[in-house]
Formats: sequence, structure tokens, C-alpha cells
Amino acid sequence: MRLFDATTATLERALDVRLTRQGVLAHNVANVDTPGFTPRDVNVTTQVQTAAAGGLGLDATQGAHLGAEGSSGSRPAVTTEEVPGARRLDGNAVDVDRVMATLAENAMQYSAAARTVSRKLAILRYVASDGNG
Amino acid sequence: MRPIAGLTDGAPPLVEPARKPLVNGPEFTSALEKAVDNVERAQQSADAQATKLATGGGNLHEVALALEKADITMRVAVKVRNKVVEAYQDVMRMNV
Amino acid sequence: MDFFAAFRVSASGLAAQRERVDIATGNLANAESTRGPDGQPYRRRDPVLEAVTFEDALAGAETPAVRVAEVVQDPTPGKRVYQPGHPDADAQGFVTYPNVDPVHEMVNLMSASRGYEANATSFETLKAMAQRALEIFR
Repeated sequence: MRLFDATTATLERALDVRLTRQGVLAHNVANVDTPGFTPRDVNVTTQVQTAAAGGLGLDATQGAHLGAEGSSGSRPAVTTEEVPGARRLDGNAVDVDRVMATLAENAMQYSAAARTVSRKLAILRYVASDGNG
Repeated sequence: MRPIAGLTDGAPPLVEPARKPLVNGPEFTSALEKAVDNVERAQQSADAQATKLATGGGNLHEVALALEKADITMRVAVKVRNKVVEAYQDVMRMNV
Repeated sequence: MDFFAAFRVSASGLAAQRERVDIATGNLANAESTRGPDGQPYRRRDPVLEAVTFEDALAGAETPAVRVAEVVQDPTPGKRVYQPGHPDADAQGFVTYPNVDPVHEMVNLMSASRGYEANATSFETLKAMAQRALEIFR
């Protein structure tokens, strides 16, 4: 009997991806006034699904790949992509309103995933302690 | 599900046909099976919702409710199991 | 990515915007300074913002996500006003005023202020996320 199932692994991956995405968005906000800056984002759906489909290795062959934290090799890199959009006069392409909205939404999704994995583990804990805690 | 209350009565239930049977085989097992089924279904539903959430879809209250139901059905099933085990142990302790 | 790298990214954004505010207020304060320590009229200053790529920001512990690479002086000549009695008037009686346009500085100030608030919100959101992660411990 597998104690920690695929769903838990998927949720853990979702937490990784969402946290990286928050960093990318924070990076966009920090550069909201930098001339020539192109914002980036993370496609959560594909990033979570590709990991669930069978695990990528520590693949950092492209410039956009980020190094994975932890040397266990079980945490594949999260890829970012450029966000197309209109550029202002100074070449900056950050849509600050969109980034701020995405920031809030991503944080909430992270919280939801954290709470979900917490609850799943709580159920297991309950069973493991024979219903005594 | 048949109540387990018959255990605490003094008289050996197997002898007196008027009393409810102590261990009604098919009743107990089917009740347990149903409880386990419920748990299985609730867990799978919760897992499906959680996966949807993880990949960016799903809606929050659906996930929350599915998880809560899975939690509750699991707790009920564990309590049922504990009671069955308790009943079995009580029976085994009886002097025949 | 970990939380602390993300916090540093936000913090560098806050610092850069604050510097923009400082420079804009400095320009405004000196809008009428016809004579500086070098005897010349004040020249307005401009920050030059420089971004670090996201990958580098992750890799380098001390590399900020954005920074003010340098502060340049605006070479545009200032307005010349005919004021023969003024102590800084030149031979023709003209005084050269700083090349500061208060409206322009106010626009910069508002932009920097908005940028600062955006980064502050980003920082607070990160903090809330970190607290959620801590709850898994319970």
C-alpha cells in the first residue's frame, strides 16, 4: 500500500511551481519601471502536468531553465516564458495591473494547495493513529 | 446497521432466539464493506478535485468540500472499525 | 525557488523605487538653485534602472532583481531669464535656472510612488504565502 499517493506528489509539485511563479511575478514588479524589460511568467498547468506525467530529470539545457533546489533530483526545474505585450516608450513591457492581479491569484492558489496537502496528510495521520489524533 | 448493544446483555444471545443475534455475519460485513466503499469513493473524489486544483483549474469550495467529506467518511469508517474490533474482543473474552 | 530569494527580489524593487523618489524630490527641492557648490546652476538628475535576469537573480545570492545602475545628470541647458539685478546674472543680465520642470518631476514622483506600492504589495503577498507554508507544520 502506497502511503503517499500521486495526488500528494502533484500537490507538492504545484506548491513548487506556484512559489517559483510568485518569484517571477515579484521580479516583474521589481522591474516595472526598468527600460527595455520583458516580463516573464510560468504556465502552471503544463509545469505541474509534465512533472506528474513521469518526472523530468534535472534538465537545465536551456537558458530559461532554472536550477532545481535540493540535490535529490526529484524536483525538476520550472521553466519560465516571456510574456508578449505592448511596450511603452522606454521599452518596458510590464502590465502592472495584470501582474498585480496575477500575483494575488497565485498566492491564493498556493494557499489552497498548501491547505489541501495539509488536510490530506491529516487524514492519513488520523488513520495511522487508529483514530486517536 | 445492527446495533451492537446486544453485547452488553448478560445472557448468551446465541441460545435465546428472541434476542438479536450477536454476530450476524452478513450484516456486519456488508456494513463494513459499505463504509469502506464510501471512504474509497470520497477519497477518490477528493483526489480528483485536488489534482484539478494543482493544475490550475477547479474551484476552491468544491475542493474544500470534497476534502471535508473525505475526512468525515474516513473518521466514521475508523470509528466503525474500532467498534467492530471492540465487539469481537468482548465476545472472545466471554466464558463459553 | 525559495521564499528568501523571492523576498530579496521584492526588497530590491522597493529600494530602486525609493531611490527614484529621492532623486525626484532632490530635483524638486533644487528647482530654483541658480548656484551649486561648483558655482554652476543645478542640473537635474535621472536614475538609470537596470534589470537582472530572473535566472541570475536566483543564482546570485547578493544580486538584486533591479538596481539603479547610475545617476546621470541631465545635460539639457536650463531656462535663461532676464534678471539684471540677480547676483548670478551673467554679463548680459541673464540668469540660467536649473533644467528642472516641476511637472515632469511630479510625474516621476507619482510613478515611483506607485511602483513602491506595487512592490510593497508584492512583498506582503509573499509574506502571507510563507505563513501558509508554515501552517503545514501544524
